[in-house]
Amino acid sequence: MGFLALFFLAVFLFVGGGLFFVLRKIFPQQDPISLINKFLVYYYGVDLLIRYFFQTLPVTDVKVLLIQPIFKKTIIRGVSLRSIVSVFNFVPLIVLFPFCVVFSLEGGNPLSVWLWLFAVLCTSGINHFTTFLVNKSRGFAMILVFVLGVGISLEKVFNIELLYFFGQGFEAIYQNPTWALAPFSLFVFSWKMTERFLQKELYLDKGLEIKKERIIGSQLDFFDRWGIIGLFIKNDIRLIIRNVRARQVVLMASVFLFYGLIFFTQEIYLNQPVMMVFAGLFITGGFMLTYGQYVPAWDSEYYSLLMCQNLSYKKYLNSKLYLMMFSVLLSLLFSLPYLYFGTKVMLVILAGAVFNFGLGTFITLFSGAFNSSPIKLNIKAKAFENTQNFNFTQLLFTLPKLVLPLFVFYLPYRFMGLNAGLFGLVFSGFLGVALKNQLLNTIEKIYKQKKHETLSSFKKT
Amino acid sequence: MISVQHLSKKYSGDIVLEIPNLEIPKGQRFGLVGNNGAGKTTFFNLALDLIEASTGTVFINDIDVQKSESWKPFTAAFIDESYLIGYLTVEEYYYFLGNLRGQTKAQIDEWVEPFKPFFNDEILNQKKYLRDFSKGNQKKAGIIGALIGQPDLVFLDEPFANLDPTTQIRLKNLIKDEAEKHGTTFSISSHDLTHVTEVCSRIVLLEKGGVLKDIETTPSTLKELESYFSN
Repeated sequence: MGFLALFFLAVFLFVGGGLFFVLRKIFPQQDPISLINKFLVYYYGVDLLIRYFFQTLPVTDVKVLLIQPIFKKTIIRGVSLRSIVSVFNFVPLIVLFPFCVVFSLEGGNPLSVWLWLFAVLCTSGINHFTTFLVNKSRGFAMILVFVLGVGISLEKVFNIELLYFFGQGFEAIYQNPTWALAPFSLFVFSWKMTERFLQKELYLDKGLEIKKERIIGSQLDFFDRWGIIGLFIKNDIRLIIRNVRARQVVLMASVFLFYGLIFFTQEIYLNQPVMMVFAGLFITGGFMLTYGQYVPAWDSEYYSLLMCQNLSYKKYLNSKLYLMMFSVLLSLLFSLPYLYFGTKVMLVILAGAVFNFGLGTFITLFSGAFNSSPIKLNIKAKAFENTQNFNFTQLLFTLPKLVLPLFVFYLPYRFMGLNAGLFGLVFSGFLGVALKNQLLNTIEKIYKQKKHETLSSFKKT
Repeated sequence: MISVQHLSKKYSGDIVLEIPNLEIPKGQRFGLVGNNGAGKTTFFNLALDLIEASTGTVFINDIDVQKSESWKPFTAAFIDESYLIGYLTVEEYYYFLGNLRGQTKAQIDEWVEPFKPFFNDEILNQKKYLRDFSKGNQKKAGIIGALIGQPDLVFLDEPFANLDPTTQIRLKNLIKDEAEKHGTTFSISSHDLTHVTEVCSRIVLLEKGGVLKDIETTPSTLKELESYFSN
């Protein structure tokens, strides 16, 4: 983890320092900060979205402080201050700090440049506290949805270019640094709101209470018809809808559905079948790649229970397999709108789906046997947490999931054209389905061999 | 029911459990006592093939637990909360275990009926997930869960801890009843000497991974154990 962090730090520093020269080289006529200003609104949009899914605030550690001789105000100040130390707030700092150093040395007006940076960081801070309030309180979430709704309708219906004005705002700050007071005061305001909110919630039976959840997904008797396999699928569906971490991963998986929009909307890629296949594989493989890679770790919290039950490993694995296969079919259904981009695109997606369905699922299940980091089901993943689970074997296993299909496609494509390439994908998918029992038996053997090892690593937290 | 031969477990050279020989006959209520680190849970984990033995074997009904899994259909355990599935309701959890042990929903609904006094209206129809139950109620749910499908052998680790006094007394009766009615073998570890001597017909005292005492329970057993633990 430490190494990885240093690596990213170095990359960001490099990017930040180089940014100035790159911008000046490409757009010699324009001011680099004005260029960045145009892009900032999108950055903050994505930033807010990512924060919504990953940002957590360490409130649960507070209980022990409550009965110590410390003022509540101090505790709250501590919590909010500590929360600011987060990856999301550091990325703009690390990237833009070297940029600003370079720019002020290369002729930028230091006062403007540095106050502009200050305004940018303040806006990050606003995002930070907004996310916190939205995550914790339904009222604030409604307000945000309302504001976004008004914004979108102004933009779309009344043709008022808010996105443009956002950039112009930063332009104004850059031209006249006094305007930096605006984001700064908004930042302070959001901070104060958060602290006021926390102050009210700092009781065991309020914000610190473990929320009693509504029971969802109790009517799943439909699956009973498939016996033990249905039983496990039922459990997995409940796992997904009832646990924060799983919901988070599945939401991320659904984002993959839109991956094609990046590629298929651009002329260049439409003439590069390999890139198209690459995108196609992601569209139908999202769930398989994100959720599937943590099988069996999803069951890590109660793996010892499963291991002393009268259950057949094969049926257990089979249920996971069916779940992933079903997800591929479902994503395929949702990907039908891609027909808009033509039948060629749809054929590529379909061929990718067959590969994912028939072979990708087995590879995912196979690689799961080597993934032994436990998962805490009902706790949000922190940003970069997946990199803590990161290990070399997992990296190795993403190769067959993505490179193998490209390979299977590319060889026949190179010599016999697109259709042959797609046939290669479809054929290997069918091969997987035909060899289902053999493949499953092999995978089962590995899971059995690794049983004790997996059990002991799931116990570690 | 259980037969232990030359069993030992070492972690990087340190012996945490060493039992040359131990026989637990069918229908016995077998109690394990000992301070923390004596090897009680390790013994359970070895018997359930959840950890690998360094040497020796545990047989359940003459089945080597490491070589075959055919002991699983008639064996059940509740060791800690990792034996619960936190995101299920108690009913869903029971149906899950029951289905795995070949029971239908209706059979489980009927089977759970006589345990209602034990639940004291705190377990069924609660409309909440197992992870949101209090520790005591989790334990209640888990212990009864281990009895689903009438297993011949049940492992319970510290079943009395966290239970309220009424439930502790009910649990003692419940264990005795099950053992008498169905010939169920119980293997129970506990720190509560009073309860364990009352409920178990045989007590094994572990110390630093070895068997120190192996006694049939008599009225003087509690005194004997208390005098050992006071030193």
